[in-house]
Amino acid sequence: MLLPYIEMSCRPTVPLVSVVRRFVTEFYKRIVGDTDATSRIALATHELLENAVKYSRDGETRLRIEVDTNSTPHAVRIEMQNRAEPGHLAAIREILDGVATAPDPMAFYQSLMVKTSTRLEGSGLGLARICVEADMKLSYRIDGDSLILTGDAQLYADETESAA
Amino acid sequence: MSNAFVNVTVAEFSCVALHDGGSIRASLKGNADGAAIDALASLLAQVHVEAARLGASETVVDLRELEFMNSSCLKRFVTWISNIQALDGSARYRVKFLSNPTMHWQKRSLHALRSFADDLVTVEA
Repeated sequence: MLLPYIEMSCRPTVPLVSVVRRFVTEFYKRIVGDTDATSRIALATHELLENAVKYSRDGETRLRIEVDTNSTPHAVRIEMQNRAEPGHLAAIREILDGVATAPDPMAFYQSLMVKTSTRLEGSGLGLARICVEADMKLSYRIDGDSLILTGDAQLYADETESAA
Repeated sequence: MSNAFVNVTVAEFSCVALHDGGSIRASLKGNADGAAIDALASLLAQVHVEAARLGASETVVDLRELEFMNSSCLKRFVTWISNIQALDGSARYRVKFLSNPTMHWQKRSLHALRSFADDLVTVEA
């Protein structure tokens, strides 16, 4: 069975990030049928796009979201590609390696909250938020000056929603 | 609202803070994305000042009509709660979030905030 997906190239701005998040929410509500799972996809999409708005060299961003509805539970992959500054790549590496190696990702997220609470610019929390709150495994690869961030997750049914 | 000391609308985000007896109630509505960061930071700073002035034991933050909050806005809550933690014990006040169970991000984000300061933060669905 062919799987529905979204792929777009854009130069997002702050207001457009919310436009894309709402579109992604509506699109996947119809495909996934679980509002909790859809909200995880929407949260990850929003944070990744805002990351691109803040740190992309030229704003040009490619987004692809695919959900494998043939698997049980469904699997989602979100891929975001943009040109990034070397300094940002180092920050991303530090956060993602930190989450990946932390025995307790929530504890790592809490430590980032403490560390960034006095930071004036940006949040420093977006990528860790995707890992912890959207329960997504984030990985990255670098191709020339392009950064490709990939988020993978299983869309298990929300227990409270199933029980309702 | 006559007793509101903050009443701001920016793009798709609005916030109101008012005195509610001896405590303070802040209501956030709409979309707390990148356009809302400064307004939210200002709201929380003013709530903090008012809570100290009143000697409030609790502030209520109503998120029930808040569609989404990005990580930069979430971090403003972390900063605010850190500022409360830095107060002397007697000056500290609790934060009660009113949440909307149909906005699933709230359950996850508020769980993170409660874990950050479980002695100060409570969440009511």
